[in-house]
Amino acid sequence: MTTIAETHDVHVEHGPKRPPSGWRRLLYPGFLRAAWMAPLFFGIGTGIVVLCRWWGGWEPIWFGEIIVLVGGLVAGPVGFLAGIGAFDYWVRYAIGAPTIPEDHSGHGARSWRDYFRVNTDHKVIGMQYLATTIFFFLAAGLLAMLVRAELAKPGMQFFNNQTYNGLFSVHASLMIFLFVIPAFAGLANFVVPLMLGAPDMAFPRLNALSYWLLPIAGIMMLSSFLVPGGAFAAGWTGYAPLSVHQPMGTIFFNMGVQWAGASSIMTALNFLVTIITMRAPGMTFWRMPLLVWANFTTSLLVVIATPFIAGSQFFVMFDRVMHTSFFETAGGGYPLGYQHIFWFYSHPAVYIMMLPGFGIASEVISVMSRKPIFGYRLMALSLLAILVLGFSVWAHHMFVSGMAPWLRVPMMVTTLLIAVPTGIKVFSWLATLWEGKIAFNTPMLWAVGFVSMFVIGGLSGIYLGAVPIDIHVSDTYFIVAHIHYVLFGGSLFTIFAGIYYWFPKMTGRMYNERLGKIHFWLTFVGFNATFFPMHLIGVQGMPRRVSDYDPVFANWNLFISVASFFLGASTIVFLYNMVTSMRFGPVAEANPWRGLTLEWQVSSPPPIFNFDEIPQVVGNPYEYGVPGARHAVLGGARTVEKVPVD
Amino acid sequence: MRRGSFVQLILVAIVAAAAGTALAIFPNWLPEPASKEAGRIHFVFWFVTGICIFIFAIVAAVTTYAVLNFRRKPDDDSDGPPIHGHTGLEIAWTAVPAVLVTAIAIVSAIVLAKDDAEGANPLRINVVAQQFAWTFYYPTYGNKRSDILRLPVHRSIVLRMTSKDVVHSFWVPQFSQKQDIVPGIHPTLHITPTRVGTYPVICTELCGLGHALMRSRTIVMEPAAFQKWASKK
Repeated sequence: MTTIAETHDVHVEHGPKRPPSGWRRLLYPGFLRAAWMAPLFFGIGTGIVVLCRWWGGWEPIWFGEIIVLVGGLVAGPVGFLAGIGAFDYWVRYAIGAPTIPEDHSGHGARSWRDYFRVNTDHKVIGMQYLATTIFFFLAAGLLAMLVRAELAKPGMQFFNNQTYNGLFSVHASLMIFLFVIPAFAGLANFVVPLMLGAPDMAFPRLNALSYWLLPIAGIMMLSSFLVPGGAFAAGWTGYAPLSVHQPMGTIFFNMGVQWAGASSIMTALNFLVTIITMRAPGMTFWRMPLLVWANFTTSLLVVIATPFIAGSQFFVMFDRVMHTSFFETAGGGYPLGYQHIFWFYSHPAVYIMMLPGFGIASEVISVMSRKPIFGYRLMALSLLAILVLGFSVWAHHMFVSGMAPWLRVPMMVTTLLIAVPTGIKVFSWLATLWEGKIAFNTPMLWAVGFVSMFVIGGLSGIYLGAVPIDIHVSDTYFIVAHIHYVLFGGSLFTIFAGIYYWFPKMTGRMYNERLGKIHFWLTFVGFNATFFPMHLIGVQGMPRRVSDYDPVFANWNLFISVASFFLGASTIVFLYNMVTSMRFGPVAEANPWRGLTLEWQVSSPPPIFNFDEIPQVVGNPYEYGVPGARHAVLGGARTVEKVPVD
Repeated sequence: MRRGSFVQLILVAIVAAAAGTALAIFPNWLPEPASKEAGRIHFVFWFVTGICIFIFAIVAAVTTYAVLNFRRKPDDDSDGPPIHGHTGLEIAWTAVPAVLVTAIAIVSAIVLAKDDAEGANPLRINVVAQQFAWTFYYPTYGNKRSDILRLPVHRSIVLRMTSKDVVHSFWVPQFSQKQDIVPGIHPTLHITPTRVGTYPVICTELCGLGHALMRSRTIVMEPAAFQKWASKK
């Protein structure tokens, strides 16, 4: 592999500039500057609130909740972002100061410190995403352990009702907004530009900003446990009008969703522009790997749907702090409207949390089976079909809500029809396995495990799609079982598949195969033991979101709790494997899986600008078994012609 | 495909179907029905279960067979056959699920229409939900108030529901009927009890602090006994 200096002008300085010494260091972008800018902005926010209230004569002038909202949840985080330097380039540009368009000082990582800065390298950002999301995955997982501890026996054990409601609400919110959605964004951040043959994402600075919004959202949601009244406790669905009248923690959810949602939207825009405009020569849409297709459709979903949840949470917050009446019947509001707006995002969100996983499964299954993906075009088209259908099914979450009764049958039909494109995907994966030369290494175990678990989640989805059955099992543990088969057996399994699959590419080292397999089997057994019995107790009559339950369900709940602790413990194997392999694992080859897609054609980890020369794409990405087939040619024509010296 | 492997595949499918059927039959999945509506809903449940066992058996058979038979030998670096697709198969697995889900949709729509229909001479009861209690009013009997829902057996019941504060949801597992109660909307729910007995009334929509404790009971009585209770002041 060639080094960076060969392809780029040697005069451009790479890597971070040395920070100045003395008091000037306080002005240098980083945590030090954030440490004074965040409080400063908090102060400004507080000042605005106090001034307005004093001016308007509203008592009390020092109103804690509004100060926390404006100062702590809006202005403070903006100050933090400004402090670490997320806006530096744009501010310089806006005020007319000189900017350096080819400034790569914030690009790439030379030491671990570079991962704690605003970094514009998509590979560094991908790693930042993954590390952050795994942190919140662990936090949310521990909350689930607390939930199961409380449910191990009927009656109240450890928590009061409000705390318990907070535990499962924060568990779900973190898992959805701070783990599954951004973990996929992180994997795609690392992989998609490489797969396209692009040097980076289309908007690297925007990419950096969208990462740094995430820790803000996550810390916001977690810290709601510390405020008076406890964490937000109306479920991750936050149905109005209950959520309007909850303690202050609710606004931490309302605003946390805004930060996470803004991050999602910016990343999705970035993916769309990157995928549309930065494909290497020859990379037509029908030559893109399915992971790229999956992220393309997912990004469309994000861009169209996410503003709806942002709106729904703003409305709830306005009802609370500005005394509007979006969802207050007393003021002419329409509480059912909340559910419609909320699910108009949150149903597509299910596909936002699943389509990237479909992409990962397609990559892994094809490579490890040494066969072309079966029915490539139909696979891509079924993603688009899910995208379109996904927007026409939201009210299936509301079959018992009391909405217009006529809406139920059409929504049932569209819901059940989604089984068709999803079925196409499952059958095509199975057909890809057929007569393959399958290597059951860790990524493949997760991918095949995903297909089988997702089938169970899909079948329970058919029960839920049928309105009469849904009426019986709505808001029971059957729902809890279903969503965990889809989001744990589906999304999480594919996230693990992706992490193990690209681990050598990301870190340049190989994970421990034995530990990876142990991790899979422990999780697989623990997962089924935890969540399968929930189908049963749900159908039998156990409602969800309850801290106490009928003693007839005591035995199963104890079993589920024990299994869930086992499942939780299996994560330790994963963490141990990741941490030790990252440091001490054997050095990985460029292409350990013998994959054809572009990310495997560069070194592990890839060079700072990915490709020394722009690759020329000449064929399809999955031509395993086709003699002499190539996806791309690298090392051909150089991008910059060298002037011959003569 | 060789003939032997086809037989093997069918055998695995039969084993998977048998396992799925056993799982469907042996645990007591649904609570014993106590209303006409529950009987119909249970029919849909078993109809869907039949279809799901069929799909599960196919998927499980193919997966198991592939996992067992198509493993790569450790020193084998060759690729599999370059099969890019098969139009016939792809049409089949698009069409067959489409037909199956259409069947489910038709059955469901019929049951839904029947469950929503009001029987002759229904007894109307007003249900009021609030954090965290249920109250039942009988307008036919001088707006008699009760904390327990008492119902005469074999009579069509129409529950008209009201919420005083947040969203609640009315559910009796043995009746299988459930209805959210959003403030400002007064939905109705139809129940025809078929079995004398006492069953739990559960709030199934998170309604705040005391959600887990928002419980009542319904007592289904013989018509004469109900009449006697209802006419008592």
